[in-house]
Amino acid sequence: MWLRKTCALDDMKTTEVSLTLETPAPPWKYNPSAWSQRIPLCLFAAVAFLISSYMALYQWRLIDNVWDPVFGKQTRNVLDSDVSARMQRWFHIPDAALGAIAYLGDLVFGLAGSTRRWQYRPWLVVLFGLDVIPLGIVSVVLVVLQGTMVGSWCFLCLLTAAISLLLILFAYDEVWSSLLYLYRVWLKTRSRRVLWDTFWGRASRVADEVGLAVTGRR
Amino acid sequence: MWPRVVEVMLGCWLGMSPFIFRHNPHQTELRLNDLACALAIVTLSLLSFWQPCRAAHFGLCGVAIWLIGFGYARAPLPAPPALQNDILVGMLLLMFAIIPNEANPPRSWSDLGS
Repeated sequence: MWLRKTCALDDMKTTEVSLTLETPAPPWKYNPSAWSQRIPLCLFAAVAFLISSYMALYQWRLIDNVWDPVFGKQTRNVLDSDVSARMQRWFHIPDAALGAIAYLGDLVFGLAGSTRRWQYRPWLVVLFGLDVIPLGIVSVVLVVLQGTMVGSWCFLCLLTAAISLLLILFAYDEVWSSLLYLYRVWLKTRSRRVLWDTFWGRASRVADEVGLAVTGRR
Repeated sequence: MWPRVVEVMLGCWLGMSPFIFRHNPHQTELRLNDLACALAIVTLSLLSFWQPCRAAHFGLCGVAIWLIGFGYARAPLPAPPALQNDILVGMLLLMFAIIPNEANPPRSWSDLGS
């Protein structure tokens, strides 16, 4: 039904161009919401999710040991540390399981939405950005703190921390494009109402015009 | 519609959970809670396939928050597996429930020119 509608609107330039999904988003020369940008991020997030789940299995004692080619027994010290036990008391679930949920969130929010979601669903991009960027930084800080406070290092934790940093590199451009688009809608209208509607992906003439202007189609 | 399919699967898992994790036999309300939430999850996610009820999946956020809150409120320390399962299913559900049905631009964008 949606396709038919777009075809019917072919002669109406505004809508036709606005609905073109593959278009570069400023300030970049490429489309940060393209699948070629998002799939690698999703793959890395999936790897980090699997690693975290594996460590959660150990914390649940569903497996007896945890693999570490570099630090050996130190991984078990980290996963059984007081810090880890305290976090489990707070959250009722092991901290590795929480990490796994966060990485799965990166994966799910990375997969959701069209290749022009920076314009059509800024809320989704911002949520994805919040999951990847601040949570990623928190997880890196936690891993480093564990190393310094517990006095033991954990190879798999370091690996997931490295993936967190990599995910930030993959994600920031799309979030920036979305924020820039929202900022331009704000500059054009100075209306909180329009900005709110645009954030939640509700279409308006103004948002459409800004979309066309920033993609250089008008 | 893939998030809706995942939600149905989560609902099925929650429905099976009381038989896998074995709640305390004196606490039938835990088992009933799991089964009732499972039914609500499957119903709401399947309803989202029907156009007039396409936003039904947002109701899953309520079920998810209930599951997480229930798990936190009822769990002694350390939390038993059955309640950890409630918390985890709630978190997963919350994540999927907010994903739109379709990746296409929201309806209002394609309606804009008409």
